[in-house]
Amino acid sequence: MKSALIWDPALTGYFFHPDHPFNPKRLELTVSLIEAMGLVDGGDHRVVPPRAATDAELLRVHSPEYVDAVKRMSVRCAAGEAWEWGLGTDDTPVFHGMHEITSLVVGGTIRAAELVMGGEVTRAFNVCGGLHHAHRDRASGFCIYSDLAAAISWIRETHGARVLYIDYDAHHGDGVQGIFYDDPNVLTLSLHESGRYLFPGTGFVDELGDGEGFGYSLNLPLEAFTEDESWLDLYRKLLPEVAEAFRPDVIVLQSGCDGHTLDPLTHLRATTRLYEETTRITCEVADRVCGGRVVATGGGGYSVWRVVPRAWTLVWAALSGQEAPDAIPFGWLSRWQGESPDLLPERLRDPEGAFDPVPRRDEIEATNRRTLESLRRQALPLLRGWGLGF
Amino acid sequence: MLVKNRMTRDPVAVSPDHTLAAAQQLTQEHRIRHLPVVSGGELVGILSDRDIRSASPSTVATDEPGRAEFLGRTSVAEVMTREVISAGATDTVEDAARVLCRHRIGALPVVDAANRLLGILTETDVLHAFVEMLGASNASTRLEVELRDRPGELARAVRIVGEDLRLNIGSVLVPPMRERGNKTAILHVATIDPREAIAALEAAGYRVGWPSLEADLRRPAEGPAR
Repeated sequence: MKSALIWDPALTGYFFHPDHPFNPKRLELTVSLIEAMGLVDGGDHRVVPPRAATDAELLRVHSPEYVDAVKRMSVRCAAGEAWEWGLGTDDTPVFHGMHEITSLVVGGTIRAAELVMGGEVTRAFNVCGGLHHAHRDRASGFCIYSDLAAAISWIRETHGARVLYIDYDAHHGDGVQGIFYDDPNVLTLSLHESGRYLFPGTGFVDELGDGEGFGYSLNLPLEAFTEDESWLDLYRKLLPEVAEAFRPDVIVLQSGCDGHTLDPLTHLRATTRLYEETTRITCEVADRVCGGRVVATGGGGYSVWRVVPRAWTLVWAALSGQEAPDAIPFGWLSRWQGESPDLLPERLRDPEGAFDPVPRRDEIEATNRRTLESLRRQALPLLRGWGLGF
Repeated sequence: MLVKNRMTRDPVAVSPDHTLAAAQQLTQEHRIRHLPVVSGGELVGILSDRDIRSASPSTVATDEPGRAEFLGRTSVAEVMTREVISAGATDTVEDAARVLCRHRIGALPVVDAANRLLGILTETDVLHAFVEMLGASNASTRLEVELRDRPGELARAVRIVGEDLRLNIGSVLVPPMRERGNKTAILHVATIDPREAIAALEAAGYRVGWPSLEADLRRPAEGPAR
């Protein structure tokens, strides 16, 4: 099986400022770890550069007014204008050249989709993509344009394929859900920490879609402090049912790794093993229902040194069907340790017992099971066409 | 938030001369529990599905055909509540909610000055309105801030988040005190990264909950993932 890692050092230009949590250092670290572990070889598993998205590709999912505004502010920002487009905030500040660099991020995910849909590779991973909070006409939560929505709409328009979008970033994938909320050909499934406390405050089970797309937006909000075992249990039960009912032609995966215990922006309690396992499960389902086709992206992940490179190296290994040894090469550790504020872990997979157990585990797991049942009860009949007589 | 923005306009209504059978059919068809009763354009009563169910010719249990016959010959006027508790279109939803609670009723017909029926506000409408008020409508993070119950405490916290840090605050809720002297404000703040806001509030002496002050699940001390 062939796979492509979309990468070019230019992608680190998606950079707000040095104190901003969305730090492109994590991309550089991830790609260098993947390379150091020999998980790209220039043959079946190769690095492919992105291309810039065209205006037409952006305009499939963003309003012309918004794209114009981003282009204008990319050159010169008039005071006061940014705010109405969700820009110029602490979360998503304006920066010079943001239109061009975000177009390259978007084009990277479209490139990944081109390679997969054209049959050149079975899996592709744009580690820089995953901007799932961008809306049709508004930036939000570090995201300016939606590479995910643009790639999905490219797939829809070019191949007429049915797309299953899976999002396991710790934050709800509100932007992608919103853009396809009434579209029955794009099923969005987001697993995330409950919006009760966490940004963006949405993604509850009763958000099921609208109009013809009713039943095609699925959300599984997890309790704060959910650990690997409960998360995997729910995912193993839900994904096969959803995929078999929907019968997608391709899976688009946002694999944000900010649900990790060490992540400073969320309260989930995952280990890096979760990201390896969820990606494996996703690929197995893809093998069964859609010829193995998966277009994957990165996403959130704010423990830049200790988590992101390890989590996404495991995601890449699982996507490309390679076995990643546990030991992180000494050369990689010595290259980066001096720059890292924390001691770098020496293994890809967090060992059992690496983190303190959660006191109310039983309660959290029981609540998660109830949430799953509520989602299955509401959504599966709709997906299987038993709901409203069509 | 005003009643006129949350009520159902032109609600299903009956006349006093309708039979109970006809009224019952309307409640079932439209899946509603309350029917305003209108005569000559004016509100003259209200009939609930419960009024219909509990109406009976005698205290003796009646069989099904007997009951159908009873509903078919009894008029709405004989059973309806004539002393209607109603609301005005420009009342606030808070007021309407208080009236619903105090009188333990499920719906308020909404009338104008001439007692003409404009709409109906049900407990479900009120609940929806409060759900919207409790959540923030734009993408936000929810923070709990413990306050001493004295003037300026809430203002100071809001100033730190909204003015010093220039974060947009989508909503502020201050539920009643659980213990004397302290209360907890719930702030919906439009940011994905509340760490700076939490640090600034804590530096100013506030206790801040994220995810929650009540959950005793704190993050662990940062241990190395080795």
